[in-house]
Amino acid sequence: MLTIMLLAANLLSAQQPDPADPAFFSTNIQPVFEQQCFSCHNPDSDVSKLDLTSRAGLMLGGDNGPAIVPGNPSRSLLYKTITHQSQPFMPLGTARLSPEEIADIEAWIEAGAVYGDSVVAEGPLDERRAKGVQLFREHVQPLFESTCLKCHSPETKASGLDLSTRDALLAGGENGKVVEPGQAQQSKLYKAVAHLAEPHMPFRSEKLPSETIDRLREWIDSGAPFEGLLKASSGAIRSTHWAFQQPRRPETPQVKNTVWVRNPIDAFVAARHDEKGLQPVPAANKRALLRRVYLDLTGLPPTQEEMQVFLADTSPNAYDNIVDKLLESPRYGERWGRHWMDVWRYSDWYGWVRQNQVRYSHRHVWRWRDWIVQSVNDEKPYDQMITEMLAGDELAPDDEDTARATGYLARNWYMFNRNVWLQDTVEYTATSFLGITMKCARCHDHKYDPILQTDYYRLRAFFEPHKIRMDRVPGEPDTEKAGLSRAYDADAGAQTYRFIRGNENNPDEDNPLSPGVPRMFGSGDLNIEPVELPREVYYPAIRTFVHEDLLAKAREDVAEAEKTLVEAKKELDEARRNLAASGSAVEEPVLLADGNRAIESTEDEAALANQQELRDNLRQLRRAEAKVTLAEKRLVAAQAHIPALEARIEADKAKHGLLADADAEALTETALKKEREARILKAEADVFEAREELTEALLNPNPKDEEAKKDDASKKDDGKEEEKKFADEKRIKEAQGKLQAALDALKGPGETYTAIGEEYPRTTTGRRTALARWIANEENPLTARVAVNHMWLRHFGEGIVPTMFNFGSSGQPPSNPELLDWLAVEFMESGWSMRHMHRLMVTSNAYRMQSWAATENPNREKDRDNIYLWRMNPRRMEAEAVRDSLLYLSGQLDFEMGGPEIPADQGEEQFRRSLYFQHTPDTQMTFLRLWDAASPNECFRRNESITPHQALSLSNSKISLQMSRVLTGVLNDKVGREKSRDIQFVENAFDMLLGRPPSQAEREASANYIHEQGMLYASAADLKPFETGEKNEKVPPSSDPHTRARESFVHVMFNHNEFVTIR
Amino acid sequence: MGFTGLALGALLARDGISATTLPNGTWAPPDGKPHFAPKAKRVIWIFMLGGVSHIESFDPKPAVTRYGGKTIAETPYKDVLTAGFVKENVQALEAGNTRHLRMNLFPLQIGHRKRGQSGIEVSDWWPHVGECVDDLSVIRSMWTTDNDHGAILQFHTGRHIFDGYLPTVGSWVHYGLGSLNENLPQFVVLGEPPGDCCGGVGAHGAGYLGPENAGVPIEVDPDNPLPFASPGPDVYRTEQKREFEFLKKLNRLAGVEYPDDPKMRARIKSYELAFRMQTAVPDAMRLAEESEETERLYGLDHEITRPFGEVCLAARRLAERDVRFVQVYHGTSSNRWDAHSALKKSYNDLCAKVDKPIAGLLKDLKQRGMLDDTLVVWATEFGRTPGAEGSTGRDHHPYAFSIWMAGGGVKGGHVHGATDELGFHAVENRHYVTDAHATVMRLLGLDPRRLEIPGRKRLDIDFGHPITDIMV
Repeated sequence: MLTIMLLAANLLSAQQPDPADPAFFSTNIQPVFEQQCFSCHNPDSDVSKLDLTSRAGLMLGGDNGPAIVPGNPSRSLLYKTITHQSQPFMPLGTARLSPEEIADIEAWIEAGAVYGDSVVAEGPLDERRAKGVQLFREHVQPLFESTCLKCHSPETKASGLDLSTRDALLAGGENGKVVEPGQAQQSKLYKAVAHLAEPHMPFRSEKLPSETIDRLREWIDSGAPFEGLLKASSGAIRSTHWAFQQPRRPETPQVKNTVWVRNPIDAFVAARHDEKGLQPVPAANKRALLRRVYLDLTGLPPTQEEMQVFLADTSPNAYDNIVDKLLESPRYGERWGRHWMDVWRYSDWYGWVRQNQVRYSHRHVWRWRDWIVQSVNDEKPYDQMITEMLAGDELAPDDEDTARATGYLARNWYMFNRNVWLQDTVEYTATSFLGITMKCARCHDHKYDPILQTDYYRLRAFFEPHKIRMDRVPGEPDTEKAGLSRAYDADAGAQTYRFIRGNENNPDEDNPLSPGVPRMFGSGDLNIEPVELPREVYYPAIRTFVHEDLLAKAREDVAEAEKTLVEAKKELDEARRNLAASGSAVEEPVLLADGNRAIESTEDEAALANQQELRDNLRQLRRAEAKVTLAEKRLVAAQAHIPALEARIEADKAKHGLLADADAEALTETALKKEREARILKAEADVFEAREELTEALLNPNPKDEEAKKDDASKKDDGKEEEKKFADEKRIKEAQGKLQAALDALKGPGETYTAIGEEYPRTTTGRRTALARWIANEENPLTARVAVNHMWLRHFGEGIVPTMFNFGSSGQPPSNPELLDWLAVEFMESGWSMRHMHRLMVTSNAYRMQSWAATENPNREKDRDNIYLWRMNPRRMEAEAVRDSLLYLSGQLDFEMGGPEIPADQGEEQFRRSLYFQHTPDTQMTFLRLWDAASPNECFRRNESITPHQALSLSNSKISLQMSRVLTGVLNDKVGREKSRDIQFVENAFDMLLGRPPSQAEREASANYIHEQGMLYASAADLKPFETGEKNEKVPPSSDPHTRARESFVHVMFNHNEFVTIR
Repeated sequence: MGFTGLALGALLARDGISATTLPNGTWAPPDGKPHFAPKAKRVIWIFMLGGVSHIESFDPKPAVTRYGGKTIAETPYKDVLTAGFVKENVQALEAGNTRHLRMNLFPLQIGHRKRGQSGIEVSDWWPHVGECVDDLSVIRSMWTTDNDHGAILQFHTGRHIFDGYLPTVGSWVHYGLGSLNENLPQFVVLGEPPGDCCGGVGAHGAGYLGPENAGVPIEVDPDNPLPFASPGPDVYRTEQKREFEFLKKLNRLAGVEYPDDPKMRARIKSYELAFRMQTAVPDAMRLAEESEETERLYGLDHEITRPFGEVCLAARRLAERDVRFVQVYHGTSSNRWDAHSALKKSYNDLCAKVDKPIAGLLKDLKQRGMLDDTLVVWATEFGRTPGAEGSTGRDHHPYAFSIWMAGGGVKGGHVHGATDELGFHAVENRHYVTDAHATVMRLLGLDPRRLEIPGRKRLDIDFGHPITDIMV
C-alpha cells in the first residue's frame, strides 16, 4: 500500500507543470499561500502593508519594499524570509515551510512569479463578511466591550494584546497571532474562550455561555470583520478571593469554654477548638511563661531577680504589669526592629569591598535601621511607618529624622542596573506590605491572581522619578565617612513603559503608563499632588553646617600643606648634605637642558663608583627640590582655596535668596574670579606634579622590572617582557593623562563659579506619598492583615496565613480567617498600634498555653500539626537571641544602641547586640549565619535548622567558652566557691540559663559531673589538649580544678537544647 | 523564606538537615533516595574563575591563527557578527552596553594536537589532562548570558545575577540526596570562592533551600578546616568528650518532659555529628598521610603545582569519604583566568599550576577504581573572544565555551557539540548552563523537576536538559 502511494507521488511529481505556467501557481503555490500567508497578507489586514493575494500586491510590496524580484529568488525578500535568511522569519510564529514547498516557491520566483487567474473567491466571501458584521454588532462587540477590553484595550494591553480594532486584533500579542480569520479552530482567541487551550479566558472568571462562544466562532469563521473602534465599558476586574476583600470585624463567637476566654483572641481560637473537638492544654507554668514573654518581646531572657519578683507577685496584674514593662523597654525596639528588618530586607551596603565600591544598598543605611528601632520603641503607628519609608522625603522634607526612613528605598539601590533596582523596589513593596507576589507580572499577567502585567508597571511608575542621594551630615564633609542616604524625586518626567515579556530592551514605548494601583483594587482614589520643597532640601549645600565644615576642612588642608612643606625642606637639606659629602671627588655637574645634571665620563674604576654614588645623590637632590617646589605650590593653592570657597558660599547664598540686599551678580563675579585664581594655582601644582611623574616614568625604568630583569637575565621570557612593557606603558600613560587633565583644568572654569553642592528639583511628584497613603489605609484589604500575621508568627511560631509573603490565591488560606480579620480591624482601629497588638497577643490565654502535651493527648489525632492551636509551639531562638542571651546572662552585653554597622568579624570581640553588626548577603557574622540569620535579600520568616555547625559554634566559639568562664565567676561570687556549695551553684545555673530549677536527677547528675570533671583536671598533666585553634589569652580557663569543673558545667548548660529553645 | 514545623521522619532520617513541610500540605521533602538508578554517587566539581579561553584549551581553532591580525569581517566567517546569538544571548550589566565584540583576530597563543586514542584536540597548555582525554567527554557548545563575572553565579544557579541568589546545583543535590557519610558535611567547598562582585558565597549557596543545604567551605588545613572546628589548646580532648556526654545526658533528662519533641532529638544528634565532624574533617585534610607516589601524582613535590595539587588531593580524600558534592574553585586574586591582557604569560603560569593536579586527580581516581562512580566536572564561566583585547589579551565570551566531564556514567574520549570555525558561537548541540546541572543530576539519579518546593516556581530553563549523548 505504502509503495503504491509513493509511486503515485512520484508519478505526480513527474507530471508537474512548468513553474512559468499559471497552473503551477494554482497547484503548488496558491495552496501554500492560502494556508500560510493570506490570513495576514490580504488587502484588508495590512500586516507590514503587504498584500499577497494578487501579483500587483506582491510587486508593490509592503513596508520593507517589494516582496520578490522576479527571476531572482535569492534577492527576493519573500524567499529570504521563508528560508530564514532574513528576519522576520516566515511564516510568523509557526514551523518553517517544507523543503518541497520552498523549492516550489524558488522555482516559481525563478520563472517570473506568475499568478493564476483569481486567487480568492470573491462572491461567497462577501456574503460571509456581511454575516460576520452582523455577528460583530450583535454579539462580539458587546462581549469585547463588556469583558475583554478591560484587559485588552490600547491602554491596558495585557500580554501585548489589544482588541479594540481589527488591525490590533490581527497583529496579535506577545505570544503571536490570536486570530486566523476564517479559521476559528486555529485561532487562539477562540480556543482560549472555549477553554480548549490555556490561558482560559476571560481571565480568572467563569467560562462564557456556550451560545456566546458559538457566535464568536462563527464570527472568526466569517473573517472576523470589525466596525468602528471599540471602547471598554468601565469597571474593574473583580476578584472573589478572600484576601482581596475588605476585612470586617467579625462578631466575637460564643464558645463552650467561656472561662478560657481572656480576650477576643481566645474566643476565636476556642471557636476552632469547639469545631474540631480540641481541648487546649493547661497554661504554662509561671517560669516558662516569663522566659517566653521576655524572649519574645525583648530577645533576652529574664534575670534571676526578675524571675523572683514575678514568682513572688501573686496579684492578678502581675503578668500584665510585666508585659507593660517589657513593651516600654528599649530592648523591645531592638527585638522587634530586627523582625521588621527581616521583612523589609535590611542590608548594609555591599559590592566590591576591596575597592570600597558600593554596588548594592547604600552607605550609612544603618540610619534607617536606627529609625526602625526608634520607631518601634516610640510607638510610631504602623501606617505612619509605611508612609515614612516610602515617602518620608515628601511628607516632612526638611526633617532628616524622617528622611532616613527612606533608607527602605535606598536599600534597593543597585549600581549596574536601574531596572533591577526598581524591580526589587516594586516587588518587595508588594510582598512586604501587601503580601502579594508581583514578580511574575514583570513578564506576563499573573497566573493566579488578577494582576496584569500593566499593573506591575503602573506600580513601578510610582517609583520611576525617585533616586537615592547622599546628603552631608554635620561634622563630616566627606560623605563616604558619614552621610544620610535618602530618596528624592530626581526626574518628574521619567516615563514608565511596560517591558514586553519583561525584556528591558523591549519597552512598549507607544504606551507610557501612569502610576496606578493594581486594577483589582479599583482606582485607589489616588490623589497625586506635587510637593514644593524647602530650599534646604532642594539645595542641601546651602545649610550653614555644610559651609562651616567645608571651611574647617579647607583650613585643615592649609595646615597640612604647611606641614608637608616643612618636611620637604628637611629632605632637601638632607639631600644637599649627602651631595656635599659625595661630590668632593668630582667636578661640578653640568646642568643639561632637560633639567638633569650630567657629569663628564671617566674611565677610572674608583671614579666610576664615585660617579654612581654621585648620580644617585643627584637624583635624590633633584627629587627633593621638586618636592619642595610642589609643596610650595600646593600650599599656595590650599591658601587660595579658602577665599575662593568663601566667595562661592556668599554667591550661593545670594543666588538662593539668603542675602536680601546683596548684589548677586557682583558676588557671582567675585566667586568666579577667586575660584579661577585658586583653580589655576591648583592646576599649576597638578601640572608640576604630573610633569614630575612623567619625567620619572620616562627617565627611570620601573624599579621592579629592573630587578626582574636581573633575576632571569639568562632566560628569555616573552610573557615577562610583554608584561613589563604593558606596565611601563600604563605608567607613562597615566602620568600623561594626569598632565593633560591638569592642563585642561587651567582653561576652566567656564561661565560661572562652581556651586557648593548639587541642586535637586524644587518639587517632588507626590507619587510615593499617594502610593503610601493607599497602602497604609484602612480601605486596603491586605496591609493590616499582612502585618498582624507577621506579629502572630513571631509570637506563636506559625502565621495564621503560613505563606507570609503570599496572600494571593496560590498562597495558603488562613487557618482562622475570623481571627485574622478581627486582629486586622483591631490593629487599624487601635491607630495601627503595634504595642497594642503585642499586648493583646501575649496576654491571651492562647499565648499562655504550655508548649508540650502528653503523647496520649487526644488532640494529636485530630490536629497533629497544631494548626488550630491547642498548645503553644515551642520555637528555637533566632540567631541574634542566641548570641545576645549568651552575652547578657554573663553580664557582658553592651547596651549601647545604634550607630554605624560594626564589622562582621568583630562578633566575638565586641559585645554589642547582634543587630548592630554588618549584615549583607556577602558578609555576615559567621556565628549568626550558622543560626539561620535572615537572608538580607529576602526573609519573611526565619529558618529553624538544627545542624552540627551550630553545635560546634556553641561548643567551640570563643564567646561561648569565654562567657562560661565569666558567668562561673559571677555565680561563684553569689553562692561561694566551696565544693559544699556545688548544689547551689547548679541550682543557680539552671535558674539563670534555663529559667527553671533542676529536677532531682539533673541536680545530682550535675553535681556529680562537677565533681568528676574536677578530678579530671586535677590530673591535667595526663590530658591531651586540642592541638589546633587559638588560646584565649583574655579569659583563660581557671587553674583551679574545681572552678574549672564549674566552668565546664556552665559551658554544657549554654549548649543545652533548652537554652536555645523558647518553650 | 522559610518553612516551619519540622517533618519528623525526614529530620530523624537525615542528621542535622532541617527538612520541612507545610502544615496542611501533602507535599513532602525528598527522602534522600534517587528517582532512578544512579550512575554516579558523588561529584567533584572543578570551577575555573575568570573564564578560560576555550580556543586555547579544549576547542582549538586554527582558523583564528590563520586569519590572525585580520578583522573578523575580512574572513569568510564574518556571519558570526550578525548571527542572532549576538543579541539574544547576552544580558549586559548596564542595559544596552554590551561588551565589544573584539574584531581583530588574535592568533592562538599556544599549539595544540590530537591526543589519546580518541585523537581529541587539546592545547599544549594542558598536556597532563590531555593524557586523560580518553576518559573525558568534552562539551564544546556551552553558552551563557552574562557577559561579566556574574556568570560565575549564573553557572551555578542557572540564572542571571539580576534574578538574585538562587539555589545552586550543589545545594539541589544536597537537598535531593542528603547524606552518604554521617561524619562530614555533604556539600563541601574547597579553594577560594569568587569575590563579592560576582556572586561571592552565593556560588555555593542554597538560596531558598535554606543555609543547611549550602556548601560548607573547608580549608585545606588540618588545623583549622571549618568554622569553630576546634575550641583551641585551652581545652582538653577528654574534657570536651565528657562535656558532650554529659550534655546528652542533660538533654535526655530534660526531654522526659517533652516525650516526642523531634527537635530535641535532632539537637542531640547534631552534637553527635559535630563531635565526629570535629575529628573527621581535620582527618580528611591530613594530606601528609598520602604516599610519596600519590604526592608526586598531584604535583605536591613541586612548588608550582603544590597549592592546587593539595586542593585536588583533598577533593579526592573527601570523595573517598563519601562526601556527596565537592565544589572546587580556582582562579582568585593572583590566579585570574581572566586574561584581558598578557594572556600568554598568565596562561603559561596558570596551566602549569593546575594541569598536573587535575590530571593527577583523574588518574588517582581511576587507579583506585573510584572514577566509576565519581563524576568529575571541569567548567568555567564563559570562554574568551577569538579577537584581541588590546594587543595581548582576550575579552569575555559568553557565546561559546567548553567544559568537560569524566567518570561516573560518562563516555570517555568523546566530543559533544561544536563551535563555528572561529570558536565564536556554539552552533551544534547548544547547551545553556543548566544542561550541565541536568546532566549531573541525571547521573546521580535525580529528576530536578521532582525536587521543586511549593511556592517556589522554577522556569523550564532552570531545569535544563540532560546531555544524554555523553552518557554511557
